[in-house]
Order: sequence, then C-alpha cells, then structure tokens
Amino acid sequence: MSVPLLGLETEYGIIREDLENSDPVEESMKLLKACERKSVFCKWAYSKENSHLDMRGFRVASLAQDEEEDAFCAEDRKRPYSYLDMKCDRVLTNGARFYNDHTHPEYSTPECRSVLSLVAHDVAGERIVAECVAIRNRELEGNSLQVFKNNTDYSGHSYGTHDNYLIPREIPFENVVSGLAPFLVTRQLYAGAGKVGSENPGAGNFQGLQLAQRSDFIETLLSIETMTKRPLINTRDEPHAVSNRYRRLHLILGDANMSAYATALKVGTTLLVFNLIASEDKLAGLELVDPVADVLKVSLDKATVLQRKTGGTITALEIQEAYLEAAEKAFAGKDLEWNWILKEWKRTLDELRHSPEKLSDRIDWAIKEKLFTEFMQSEGMGWEDPWLKSLDLEYHNLDPDRGLYRGLQQEGAVYSLLNEKEIVRAVELPPEGTRAQIRGQAVAQDAENIKSIHWTGVEFANGEILDLTGVICPEEVEIFLNSREQLV
Amino acid sequence: MDMNDPLRREEKKESSPDRHDSGPSSPEPSRPGRDDLLKRMKKVDPKQTEKYKQRTGQ
Repeated sequence: MSVPLLGLETEYGIIREDLENSDPVEESMKLLKACERKSVFCKWAYSKENSHLDMRGFRVASLAQDEEEDAFCAEDRKRPYSYLDMKCDRVLTNGARFYNDHTHPEYSTPECRSVLSLVAHDVAGERIVAECVAIRNRELEGNSLQVFKNNTDYSGHSYGTHDNYLIPREIPFENVVSGLAPFLVTRQLYAGAGKVGSENPGAGNFQGLQLAQRSDFIETLLSIETMTKRPLINTRDEPHAVSNRYRRLHLILGDANMSAYATALKVGTTLLVFNLIASEDKLAGLELVDPVADVLKVSLDKATVLQRKTGGTITALEIQEAYLEAAEKAFAGKDLEWNWILKEWKRTLDELRHSPEKLSDRIDWAIKEKLFTEFMQSEGMGWEDPWLKSLDLEYHNLDPDRGLYRGLQQEGAVYSLLNEKEIVRAVELPPEGTRAQIRGQAVAQDAENIKSIHWTGVEFANGEILDLTGVICPEEVEIFLNSREQLV
Repeated sequence: MDMNDPLRREEKKESSPDRHDSGPSSPEPSRPGRDDLLKRMKKVDPKQTEKYKQRTGQ
C-alpha cells in the first residue's frame, strides 16, 4: 500500500441573501461560532504549519494572491479581530478540522485509510456545515444564509476542493509528475462537477456545460501557489508527517462533487494511479505536449484530440482506458476496495464510450446535463440564458429545501453510495486505525484540557504532548495506543 | 468500519436484480417527483449568480 492516508479539504461558498453586501468574513465567522458540536475551539497550532517549502527543493518567501485579494486583506487587517479570531478553528470528535480559510468555511476531513471511509467523512462534512447553517438561520429568523459546495462564483473567483495523498518520499517527484499529469488532465471525465459557461478568456464565447468547475483556473504544470497561477500539480512540501519518509501530494485541481460516487471514483482512481507510479509500471506514450492547455480543452469538449509527446494524438477517454488497463493488470484481485474501484472505473469508462446517458444518476456533470436539458426544453431556452448559471449554482446548495442535488436525492433519482448509518457514524467518530482516532478521542474525552492541536499532535495544559508525526500506519497507531494504556 | 467493506456492497448489489449487471439504475424521467423538482428549479432566481459574489480561495 503506497498511500497510507487520504484526505479531502472543501472550501464552501457562503452568502447572506438578505443583505446588499454580504460580508464573507463576518458570515464565515458567525457560521463557525454557531457550531454546537463538541470541539476544541481556536487552538490550532499554526506554529506547526509550513506552507512555503517547495517539493523542488527551495523555499518561497511568501505565497501570492491577486491584487483584488490583496486589497481585501488590507481591509481585513482593519477589522477588530485577530488572525485566530477570523480563523475560528475547530477540531471535532471525528478528528476533522472545521475552520475559515480565505473567507470560506472549510471542512478538512480526518485522515482516512480507505476511499469509502474518506467519502463518508466528506459527506459528514456537508452534514455538519448544513447543521451550522440551520442554527444560523434560526438566529436570523429566516433562511437568508445559504452555503454552497462548489468552486466558483461565475465571476472569476474560485475556491478549492483539494484531495490529499500521503505517499512515500522515496518515489522520485519527477516520476510522480510524469505519471500523474495525463491522468489528472483527463480525470475530469468522471470527476468533473460540471459548470455552465466558462470564466477563462481562452474559452472564447463558450456556451454550454463544461465538464469541470476548476478547469478554467489551471494555469501551469507545477507551482506552490494555490490562489493564483494554480497548477496541475501543487508543489507545496508540507507532509504533516515525518518528512524524510513521506510527501503529501496536495492536488488542487479537483471539483467539489455533490455525488459521493463521483468523489469515490475521483479519489479511488487517483490512489490506484499513485500505486502504479510507486510500482514503476511504465505507462508509455501517455505524456502530453501541453497538459495545462489540455485541462480546459478536455473540459470544454470531452471528445477533443490531444497531442502526445511521442507523436500522434490521443483522446481523454483513451488515456483513461490506458490507465485502467494498467491498473487492472497490476491490482485486480489484490484488495476488496481496489476491486470495487476497478469495476466502477471500467463501468464508467465503458458507459462514457457507449451510452453516456447512463451516467446521469451518479456523475455530477452528466446529472446536470440531463437535468438542465430537460429544463431548457420545458422552458424553451438555451445554454446562453443566465438562468442556467443560477440553476448550476443551486445544484450545489446544501439547503435541503432548495438544493437541486438535494431534490434529486429526495426523489431517489441519484445513486446513494452511503447509507445513513455510515454518514452519522462519520459525523461523530474518527476513522479507526488512524492518528485521527487518537486526535478525535482526545477531543471527545479531554477537550477542555487541550492547549493546542494540529494534524501532527495534541498538547495538553499539563504539558503532556501526543506527538502523532510518525503515527501513520495502523500498526503505528496500535503501538501508540498500547503505549498510552501502559502509561495509564 | 462497515463502509470500508466493499464485499458487503457486492453482496448487496447481487441481492438486487436491478444492480446485478447494469450497475446503479438510471433515473426514471416519468417519476412523479420530477414535477416537484421542476417546480424547485422554476423558483430559482434567474439572477442569483449576479448576486453571488465570493472572494478568491485556494
């Protein structure tokens, strides 16, 4: 197993509909303060963060943002709040981090060992965020606060959904880049959440539904940046683990999926590709001449033809089929969850090739395509109508009475990957056999005595420290827990 | 955790004829709930995205 831990971070969009100028700083803070779940509040150990080190072996002095955001931040500094006040960090009993990141409420799942566990924790995040929205709306005596699990405001402002994979440091980074890039360019065939229109001037006057929300915003192959010049592969070297054993691949090009099945496929296939790279299986002939431009090209037209470095052309679907074939050869029959991923990956690619309409109950862009096409037919309008963008936004609304994906769920019109028991469990409890279990238990049992908390450890008021930096594999978790029992 | 057991999912699928070979079943366009969803869509403010301004995130 080359990927011992997985995680997902989701930044949510937030707005007060009863105000002329909704203030995301105020609203995000009030949302986090409304959380009634047992948690450690405002004690995140920022001293342990190190986001300026680059995988390529250098350190940057600062991370960049655009001029507009610079101006907003200058105004933010005049507010009567400290940095920690605005962050409103919470660590929950399930080991997750729930806080404000760049004015967006963000839910970072606990570290998980399996794909289905991770998906349950991502959906648990939706549940916890929606719970806080409901509390806030009771305070507001209305329904004016609305929160969206998406990645754009359709005016050029994007916010992220990052998938994270802890991988062995010994895998050369250049192998990761060459092995991963063609896969990431084309993963949007099933991982794309769909977006009406385009915010990238390079798309011309595109009218229609593109595959992915983030594809408009990928500008370079490699970069440490996340708010400007967003890369296909982020080079931030911050493993939150023993740095000579592990690196954390922090992928920022993904979409926020409403479909849990799509999330599972996105993360599951990526995990298998990391294992292919680790096993040094050669995927000859897949490298692309211009992978960065191809991200948008594929998003706008999934049948487009891409130029290969070795000469000739290839389609996005053919690239995915090549990865699938290699993964089937290497991993079929080796792990129950991997078997599930391989089977669903194959089903999805087969249906994309032969009957794409069958994807319209589980792949977000395909769900939208069917739903919006029906609506356009009933209303006699086309993709250029601005109403379609509003419907697209509303697909991602967490409000059970307004959200379009929520409406489809209530109808039973979309595939349910998880049952209620699995979601409720993930809301309350951490994934077993992970260091998140130790963190979550510390919060559940001793929250009031925690002085500071982080992915890599917990410090108590009495000076006791739980150092989780090296507690990665289940065996290490067990040894850690056994040693704690002996101390007691 | 229960959810980590894909075999259980395989067993569940095999007990359901709908899922045995064809995978997750597709939505039925004529189902009664479609009208409710259409009503929900018609209630969406056509100018909602114009008001939906966010700040750049990561």
